Amino acid sequence: MSRIGVFVCHCGENISRTVDVEQVAKAAGEIPGVAFSCDYKYMCSDPGQTLLKKAVAEHKLDGVLVAACSPRMHEKTFRKAAEAAGLNPYLCEMANIREHCSWVHEDRDMATAKAKDIVKLMVERVRKGKSLAPITVPVTKRALVIGGGIAGIQAALDIADAGHRVVLVEREPSIGGHMAQLSETFPTLDCSQCIMTPKMVDVANHPNITLFTYSEIEKVDGYIGNFQVTVKHKARSVDESKCTGCGICMTKCPKKKIPNEFDQGHGMRPAIYVPFPQAVPNTPVIDRENCTMFQSGKCGVCAKVCGPGAVDYEQKDTFTVEDVGAIVVATGFKLYTIDRKPEGSPIQGYGEFGYGTIPDIIDGMTFERLASASGPTGGKILRPSDGKEPKQVVFIQCVGSRAREKGISYCSKVCCMYTAKHTMLYHHKVHDGQAYVFFMDARTPGKGYDEFWRRAVEEEEAVYIRGMVSRMYQRGDKIVVMGSDIQVGVQVEIEADLVVLATAVQPQDGADLLAQKLGISYDKYNFYSEAHAKLKPVECATAGIYLAGACQGPKDIPDTVSQASAAAAKVMTLFAKDKLERDPVVAKVNEKYCVGCFACKKVCAYGAIEEKEIRDRQGNLIKKVAYVNPGVCGGCGTCQATCPSKSIELDGYTDEQIMAMIEAL
Amino acid sequence: MTPGKKRLSYSYYPGCSLHASGREYDISTRALFKALNVGLKEVPDWFCCGATPAHNVDELLSLSLCAKNLSLAEEVEGDLAVACAACFSRLKTTQHHLKEDDTKRKQVEVAIDGPAALNKPVKHILEILAREFGLAKLEESVKKPLMGLKVAPYYGCLLTRPPEVPELDDCEDPSIMEDVLRALGAEPVKWSHRMECCGANFTLSRPGVVLKLSNAILESARIAGADCIMVACPLCHGNLDIRQKEIKEAYGAPDSTLFGNIFGSELHGGSAPDQRDLPIFYVTQLAALAMGVASESLGFESVITDPKPLLRDKQLL
Repeated sequence: MSRIGVFVCHCGENISRTVDVEQVAKAAGEIPGVAFSCDYKYMCSDPGQTLLKKAVAEHKLDGVLVAACSPRMHEKTFRKAAEAAGLNPYLCEMANIREHCSWVHEDRDMATAKAKDIVKLMVERVRKGKSLAPITVPVTKRALVIGGGIAGIQAALDIADAGHRVVLVEREPSIGGHMAQLSETFPTLDCSQCIMTPKMVDVANHPNITLFTYSEIEKVDGYIGNFQVTVKHKARSVDESKCTGCGICMTKCPKKKIPNEFDQGHGMRPAIYVPFPQAVPNTPVIDRENCTMFQSGKCGVCAKVCGPGAVDYEQKDTFTVEDVGAIVVATGFKLYTIDRKPEGSPIQGYGEFGYGTIPDIIDGMTFERLASASGPTGGKILRPSDGKEPKQVVFIQCVGSRAREKGISYCSKVCCMYTAKHTMLYHHKVHDGQAYVFFMDARTPGKGYDEFWRRAVEEEEAVYIRGMVSRMYQRGDKIVVMGSDIQVGVQVEIEADLVVLATAVQPQDGADLLAQKLGISYDKYNFYSEAHAKLKPVECATAGIYLAGACQGPKDIPDTVSQASAAAAKVMTLFAKDKLERDPVVAKVNEKYCVGCFACKKVCAYGAIEEKEIRDRQGNLIKKVAYVNPGVCGGCGTCQATCPSKSIELDGYTDEQIMAMIEAL
Repeated sequence: MTPGKKRLSYSYYPGCSLHASGREYDISTRALFKALNVGLKEVPDWFCCGATPAHNVDELLSLSLCAKNLSLAEEVEGDLAVACAACFSRLKTTQHHLKEDDTKRKQVEVAIDGPAALNKPVKHILEILAREFGLAKLEESVKKPLMGLKVAPYYGCLLTRPPEVPELDDCEDPSIMEDVLRALGAEPVKWSHRMECCGANFTLSRPGVVLKLSNAILESARIAGADCIMVACPLCHGNLDIRQKEIKEAYGAPDSTLFGNIFGSELHGGSAPDQRDLPIFYVTQLAALAMGVASESLGFESVITDPKPLLRDKQLL
């Protein structure tokens, strides 16, 4: 006869509001084999855990069930407490009566009855449970950082400074990301390039950092401590080991009128180019789609003028496999464009703003380039259509953001501040100009932020109009902006020379595909999901993978840098141990019954199943059976459900346990 | 008619305006369909869709009026063709609401004493011309192309909005009118006010609002160089056509603060401001004209802003 203890948690009022926890505890006490049951307000607190430990000792319990929240939340907590009380931690289970019961039901009687059922069947699982020992796996003390913007750069530098090796992979030809494009940064107006480029140089020079630019993640295998990542190095057409960065190829390239992505298409670049003069590495890349040599086979000027002979038209994409123990994902954001809605997309465009057909309606990043000393206008605010200095500029906040009817309900967080900054930059450069801002709210929670915003309004003469813009159209060389001022209750019409839209922050293109390769989860907008919104903000639910920056949600520079350093700290914590203990919930093969059909191998998503030969003493092959590599097994149980001879089982979820649970209902 | 293909045929809901102030829309619709050899059979015993007033007063009433009309239409074969943008909007809105709200659907079915015909396809004339009859065939059928006629296609509020209801075209940047105009040989102009409101039925309660909004529409059509405006709504037609004289009296020369730069110097070299009359056509009038229907049977005599001088000038009469 077993001696199981059942502990029912109130979770403050989260559970007790809809579930009669006392009754649940009482009913549990009547289940045969339950030696002790009670309820308590906060089981996860110190007194709650002490209660559990004391009960194990006093009632000589041989199994523990905590009926509380999801095991994803506190299974570790209670298993630790059970272990401290002398029990094997895997004899402690949780019954989820919060997410699976109290949170989703309203009727108290029915919810209580359901909670009793959940407890009843989980008691059976505990009863049939076995002691398990954790598995230890080695840790490769080398980290992969995906994305070379400020988030990836900060994370890479922190990990490298701690003495660990880092591989930094960037999709574009240079690191720097969006921050390198910015003019001046809020709330201090220091030049973005001046604080960013030294960090880029540090990355290039750091002995612990291997930098792969113009490269992408192809495939991710393995698990925490032991990832094997295949990196695709796109053909640069320039040999990085030979190129000296002299730049003569770029000056001699006959094709010079290609819109420069770095300047948001407002400057021009040649077909062989570095994205911007301060690029790291300072090695050009050939844009094959726009290169005459690649398109028609006639040119070859860059190869002829290159002294060291670095230009290589024959270069192919190459692949390397990198062994790493931890991954930091820092893929950043893109800005929402107001183009016509793409086919099948839930996000609507802005037809009322002309779907981007009016050249002097630009987005915030384009304004950054116009205001930047290194931009296409040399830092002068000149509008794209005719190069004139705009005297009336209208800024519109929340374009795309906080617009449920357009398909995006979240706040993009950075726009209030950067729009205030834009009005200041404009005022500093065009003294007789007037800036207007249409806004819903001014959200300025950050150190020195509200003071900065007030400065824009009170000292820098920006006119803030609370209300949204309904329509814009071109009239002559002006843009008519029709909007409302809800504080005065009137409709407003402004003739603007230039309109700047603070468009929504969205995850990078392909964020979902990368997540699928990494096996991490993402929300409906493709932002990556953290393991816990409050307590695990930089960890993914997938062990060994961490998040930094705007790929997780819109973020400004200070927040991004903080999160990147936090992710780096998590990696260092992981690397502080030589071996990792991992959950022993893995599949095991009963070799006696396995017939070697390898149906399990076909369905295993982790590639954990190998073929093992069984030989007699003379070395004759008797049969082949399946073998589960416990380091790789993800514990999903698919093999168990597939095996026709029932000879593969997941520890902690054996057929016997599951049948007992079903019978208890 | 391609052999083997069934002749296109529709049931037809004209709506009140088309039997009254907008009768030329009705006349020209029938003439056009006849010219295109497309069947059009009026729903017997139809009544008002409730228009704008009903749904502002009593939601159940407004839904029931349309639901009853839809169930009457069910008795006539063919998808339901609607010309008036407001009737089109109300009928589609009713289907949309009742499909989503079971409680309301049941209430309405009690009120109309029968099932609501939620799946009767409701089609706007533009849709029929551009998609079902087809632009290519429309172009082939043209006998008298509207060469040299610069038309400002005016959509107004209801044809495309809200996006989930009419499902006619992109809600803020549609092209269906432009496509039809091109097929007829006319030249659609690019202009700024094709999606703006004309003031609609404030024409009775607050005419000042209508004068202001309709003035902006007429002005921007003139700036774009249009000879005329094409509409698909009798109320828009009324406001833009009937009130043109009043608008000129109220606004006279274009607002100097708004149009000063353009009119004063660059475009007109300081000459007198543009005050041209702009005839307002229904889509069916222009289409029927292009199909060679005699102009006498298109109701041109019953509008205020006389289109005949323009048509004569373009040798379309």
